[in-house]
Amino acid sequence: MRRQLAARLGQSLIVVVLVATISFFVIRLAPGDPFSFAGENIPFSVRDHWRHVFGFDKPLLEQFGRYVLAVFRGDFGYSFSRKGDVSSVIADALPRTILLVGLAVFLSFAIGIAAGVLQATRRGSWFDRVSTGVLVFFYSLPDFWAALMILFLFAHRWRLFPTAGIVDPVSYDYWPPWRQLVDRVAHLVLPLFAFTLVTVAAVARFQRAAMLEILPSDYVRTARAKGVPEQGVVWRHALRTALTPMVTLLGLMLPAYLGGAVFIEKVFDWPGLGSLAADAIQKRDYFLVTATVIVGSIVVVIGNLMADLLQMALDPRVRE
Amino acid sequence: MRPSLIFVAATTLLAACSAGDRAPKSTQDAGGTLVLALPEPQDLFPPLVNEAAGRLVTDQVFDRLAEIKPELATIGDKGFTPRLAKSWKWSADSLSIAFSIDPQARWHDGKPVLASDVRYTFRIITDSAVGSPVAPLVTNIDSVSVRDSLTAVVWFKKHTPAQFYDVAYQLVIIPEHVYGKIPPKELHTSPVTRMPVGSGRFRFVKWEPGVRLELVSDTANYRGRALLDRVILIATPEPNVRAVKVLSGDADFMESFPVNQLSQLDTSRVAGPVPYPNFGYVYMTMNRYDPKSPTSPHPIFNDIRVRRALAMSVDRSSMLQNVFGHNGRIAHGPFPMTVGYADSTLKLPSYDTVGAKSLLDSAGWHPAADGIRVKNGQRLKFTVVVPTASLPRGRYAVLLQGAFRHVGAQMEIQNLDDAPFYARAEKSTFDAIMDGYTTDPAPSGMKQRWGSEAIGFIPGKGVSGANSMRYSNPRVDAALDSATTTFDFARSKKYASRASQTIIDDVPAVFLYDMFVTHALSRRVTAPPLRTDAWWADLADWKIPADKRIDRDRIPLAQATP
Amino acid sequence: MNRTLRRLLAHRSARWSLATIAILIIAAAIGPMLVPYECHTQLDIVRLQNQPPSWAHPLGTDQFSRDVLARLLCGARISLAVGTLAVAMSMTIGTVYGLISGYAGGRVDGAMMRVLDAFLSIPRVMLVIAVLTLWDSVSLAGMIVLLGTTGWFGVSRLVRAETLAVKRMDYIEAARALGTPTSRILWRHILPNVIAPVIVAATLAVGSVIALEAGLSFLGAGVREPDASWGSMFLAGVSFSTSTWWILFFPGIAIVGTVLAFNVLGDALRDVLDPRQLHAPVMTVASSVAAPIAPERLENG
Repeated sequence: MRRQLAARLGQSLIVVVLVATISFFVIRLAPGDPFSFAGENIPFSVRDHWRHVFGFDKPLLEQFGRYVLAVFRGDFGYSFSRKGDVSSVIADALPRTILLVGLAVFLSFAIGIAAGVLQATRRGSWFDRVSTGVLVFFYSLPDFWAALMILFLFAHRWRLFPTAGIVDPVSYDYWPPWRQLVDRVAHLVLPLFAFTLVTVAAVARFQRAAMLEILPSDYVRTARAKGVPEQGVVWRHALRTALTPMVTLLGLMLPAYLGGAVFIEKVFDWPGLGSLAADAIQKRDYFLVTATVIVGSIVVVIGNLMADLLQMALDPRVRE
Repeated sequence: MRPSLIFVAATTLLAACSAGDRAPKSTQDAGGTLVLALPEPQDLFPPLVNEAAGRLVTDQVFDRLAEIKPELATIGDKGFTPRLAKSWKWSADSLSIAFSIDPQARWHDGKPVLASDVRYTFRIITDSAVGSPVAPLVTNIDSVSVRDSLTAVVWFKKHTPAQFYDVAYQLVIIPEHVYGKIPPKELHTSPVTRMPVGSGRFRFVKWEPGVRLELVSDTANYRGRALLDRVILIATPEPNVRAVKVLSGDADFMESFPVNQLSQLDTSRVAGPVPYPNFGYVYMTMNRYDPKSPTSPHPIFNDIRVRRALAMSVDRSSMLQNVFGHNGRIAHGPFPMTVGYADSTLKLPSYDTVGAKSLLDSAGWHPAADGIRVKNGQRLKFTVVVPTASLPRGRYAVLLQGAFRHVGAQMEIQNLDDAPFYARAEKSTFDAIMDGYTTDPAPSGMKQRWGSEAIGFIPGKGVSGANSMRYSNPRVDAALDSATTTFDFARSKKYASRASQTIIDDVPAVFLYDMFVTHALSRRVTAPPLRTDAWWADLADWKIPADKRIDRDRIPLAQATP
Repeated sequence: MNRTLRRLLAHRSARWSLATIAILIIAAAIGPMLVPYECHTQLDIVRLQNQPPSWAHPLGTDQFSRDVLARLLCGARISLAVGTLAVAMSMTIGTVYGLISGYAGGRVDGAMMRVLDAFLSIPRVMLVIAVLTLWDSVSLAGMIVLLGTTGWFGVSRLVRAETLAVKRMDYIEAARALGTPTSRILWRHILPNVIAPVIVAATLAVGSVIALEAGLSFLGAGVREPDASWGSMFLAGVSFSTSTWWILFFPGIAIVGTVLAFNVLGDALRDVLDPRQLHAPVMTVASSVAAPIAPERLENG
C-alpha cells in the first residue's frame, strides 16, 4: 500500500511538472511581452530590470528550469494588476474558492447520491421520470446563466440575500463574532445554491447508473437472501459498493467544479481563484493568469490524490 | 525699523484672517460612515497616481501647499487658499516663491511637515526612474530649495500666469522620512507606497485590493478633523452594479450614474441625482502612426481625407441621443464646454455620408465585394480600443462601428480594463482609441494633450507627456503658447479658439461628447457644492446629520480595526 | 444503423430533441435570409432603440436598434458552427490519441497517459481564459481551434479504455497473426467498435461547447461586436434593467433550449446504442468540462 501511495505521489508530481511546462510554453509562445504591462509610466530601465530579475534575458533552457523551480517554490511572479506578488494574491483568493467548492462538492454529492439512489430504487416510476427530467434541465443550464437568474431572483427581486461578496464590505470588521458568522453564511447561500444546482445533476445521474448496475448483482441478492431489510440492502450494502466509483467521479469532476467556479465567482463577486481568472482577460496580467491555471491544476491533482486515498481506504479490493 | 513694524502688523493681520479660513469646523455633529462605490484605485502614491479613484484617496490623505478655490481661477495666486503653506511670498522678479509651512502641520505618524518634504516631493516627481505623469506638468519649475526647516523656496524658469498654479495644483506633498528610504526605481512595486502616510484630514486605514479601501478621520489634524468618521471605498468595477448599490442604500455615492436608469434615481427615496459638469471630454483618436512601428505612418489614417471622411460619417447628435437620451452634451472641439476658454462657434466636420463616401473614393479607397473599401490591397479595417469602465464609450464604439460600416470601413472593437487600456493609450499601440481626457481649468491643460512638448511616447525612451497620439502642429503650439503667456483672459480665449480650430481642421480625432455626468448621492448626506475638477475635493466637509444616520454610521470612531 | 435509428425514434424525448435540433439547424441556415433585417444593421439609433416585441420586430430591438430576432438567428449560426466544428476537432484528436495509446500499450501508453493526466488536471475554462488573455484577440476560427484543442482529453481516455478491452478480442489477435498492418487494424477493426461512446460523447459535448462559448462571451472573451453570439447578446442584456426583458430572455431561452436538446439526445443515444457494446460506462459532467469521462477501473493506476 505504501508503495502504491508513493507511486501515486510520484505520478502527481510528474503531472504538476507537466502542467508547469505547458504553461511555460503558453507564456513564451504568446505574442507580446509579459512586461509590457499596464497602466503606468514605467520607464524602460525599470522594465529591463524586471526582465532581468525574472530571467527573461537568459537562454531558454535555463529560463525553463528557473520557471519550474519557481513554481515549486510558490513564486509565480509579480502581478501588475494587483500590485503584489502573485503568490500572495493567490494565497488570499484560494481559500475562498476552496471553501465554496468544498461546500458545493459536499452538498452536490450528498444530494446527488441520495437522489440517484432514490431514482434507482424507484426505477421507471413517476418520481424517476420527473426527477430525471428536472435534473437534465438543471444540467443544461449554463453556469453563468443559472447564477444570474438566482442572483436576480433572490437578491434583487426579492431582497432575501446580499448581492455580492463574501462579507459586508462596510460593517463586517465592526460586528461581534456571531454577527460576522451570520454575515458570512448569508453571503454563501446564493453562490452555493447556484453551484449545487448545476452540478447535482451529474452526480445523480452517475449514482443512478451505478446503483442500477449494483442492485441486480449477486452481492446484493445474497444480502437480501440473508434477510437484510430492503432499506438496509439499498443504503448499506449496495451504496457502499456504488460509492467507490463515486469517489473516482469526484476526482474527475474537480476540474469541472473549478471551471464552474470561474463563472459563479464572477457573478456573485466572490473574490476567489475563479474571479481572478474571470477578470484576467480584461486585465491582461500574464503572471496572474498563468498562475491561476497552475494553481487550479494543483488543486485538482491534490483533490485526485485525496480521492484515491479515500478509495483505498473504502474499498479493500482496490488496494492490490 | 518702522517699515518692518508695519510689515509685521500687516502680516499678523493677514495671518489672522487666513487662519480664520482654516479654523476647525464645528465638530459637534461629526460622525457617520460614507460608502463610495467606485472602480478600484490603481495607485495610492501621489507622484504615480493617474486616475480618479486613486486621486480621490490621495487628495484626502495628502495635502497641497495651497488649495484652489471652487472658482478655479488659475492665473496668479488669488484663487488659492493656504493649506500646508500658511503663507507665501513672491520674490521681486516673480521667479521664485517662498512658502512658509504651517508649524502645526503634522504627518499622520506625528512627525512635523518640513520644507525638505517639499523639496523631496519635487525631486521624486521629476526623477526619470519614477516616470511620474506629473513631471510634464511642472516643467516651468526649476527647483525647490530649503531656506529653513519651515520655508521652502520654489524657483521658476519663467514668469507665467499659471506658475503658482503649477506649484499649488500639481504638487501633492509627500513625507521624505517615509518614502525617502526606498530607491526611486523601486517605488512602483514597493509595498510602502500602498500604505500612504500623509497630512490630510483623513488617515489611511487599510486597503484590501479588489474589495475595499478604508479611510478614517484624522482627529488631531492641524486643520481640524473631517466631519465624517469614516470613508469606505468599495471596489466595484461594473457601473450597473454600482447603481444597484446606490439605489439600495448599500453605497452612498457613485460617479456617472447610468443614463438609462436616471428616472429611477429621480424617484428614489434613498439617493438623489447630483448633476455634475466637469472638465472631461471624449473623442475617438485615429493614430497617424503605425502602432507596430511607431515611426512609420499609419497605412490608413495617415491620409487626412480618410480621417475627415470617417468624421463626416458620424451622426454625432443622434448618437448622443441614443446613449444619453436628453442628458447629453455634445463636444464642440478639443475641450469641454465647462472651461473658461470654450468656444461653441467652431466648425467641426458636418454629418454627410454622401460626402464621406465620395471623399473616400477620391482618396483611392474603393468598395470591394463585401462593401469594405480597399486600396492597394489594404482593407479599410482597423481596431478601436475601448475601456470597459465606461459604458457610454462602449456604446459609442458599437454605434460608430455601424456608422463606419455604412461608408465602407470595418472597425473591430477591443474592450480592455483600465490598466491595459492606459498602457495602450500611453504607448500609442492602437489604430484608434476611445479616449477621454479630463483637462485642467487653464488653457495649459490643452497643451498637455495637443502640444508638441507633451508628446507621450518616445520610442526607446519611454513615456513623458500626455500627448500619446503624438499630435503635432506648430501653429497649434504657437497659439497655445500665446494663450498661456498672456495675462489678459479675453485674449487668452481668442488664442485658445484659434488653436482649437486648427486642431479640429487637422481631424486627429472625432470629437464626441462632454463628460457631463450625473452622480448619485445618498439623500442622508449633506455635501457642499462639488468642485468641477474634483468632486471629492471637499470630502472632509461632507456631513451626515445625526437625525439621518443609519446603522453603519454608528460604528464608533475609536473602535480599532483588525 | 437503421435499427439504432428506429430505437432512437421510439424514445419520446429523443424525438423532441431531434426536432428541436432540426429546427435550429434550419433556422440557422436559412433564417437570416428570411428576416427582413440584417443582424448588424443599426436601423434608427434614436427612434428604434430598445423597442419591445411588436409585429415589425417580433423579438424587439436592442439598444443599438438592431432586430433581436435577426441577431438571434445569426447567433444560432455562430453557436452551431462553433459547437459542431470544435467538437468534431476534439473527437478526432481524442479518438486518435486514445487509439494509439490504448493499442500501443506498455511504456508508450504510460507516457501518453501521464501527459493526458496533466491536461485533464487543468480546468478547461482557466486554460481557455489564459490563452485568450495572452493572445490578445482571437478570431472566430481561432476560438473554434482553441475550444477544439482543449476538449479532447476526456474522449481519449474513453477511447483508450475501449481500445484496451477490444484489443484483447480474438479477432484482433487473428488479424495481427495474419500480418495485417497496424493502421488497418486500428481503422477497420478497432475503431468501429469504440466509436459508439464517442458518438454519445460528441452529442453531449456540442451542448457543453455552446454553453462554454456563451460563458466566455459573457466574460467578454468571446465573439466580438458586431457579431452576435447568444452569450454576447446576453451580456448586453444584463447591462440593462429589467424594463428591457426581451434582450435577456430570448438569448437565454435559446442557449438553454439548445443545450437541453443536445443533452437529451445524448442520453437517448446512450440508452439506445447497445449497452453491451460499451465496455466502460460513459458518463458526463457539468457543462464547464465539455468532455465525457469514464470512471476508470483502477487497473490503470
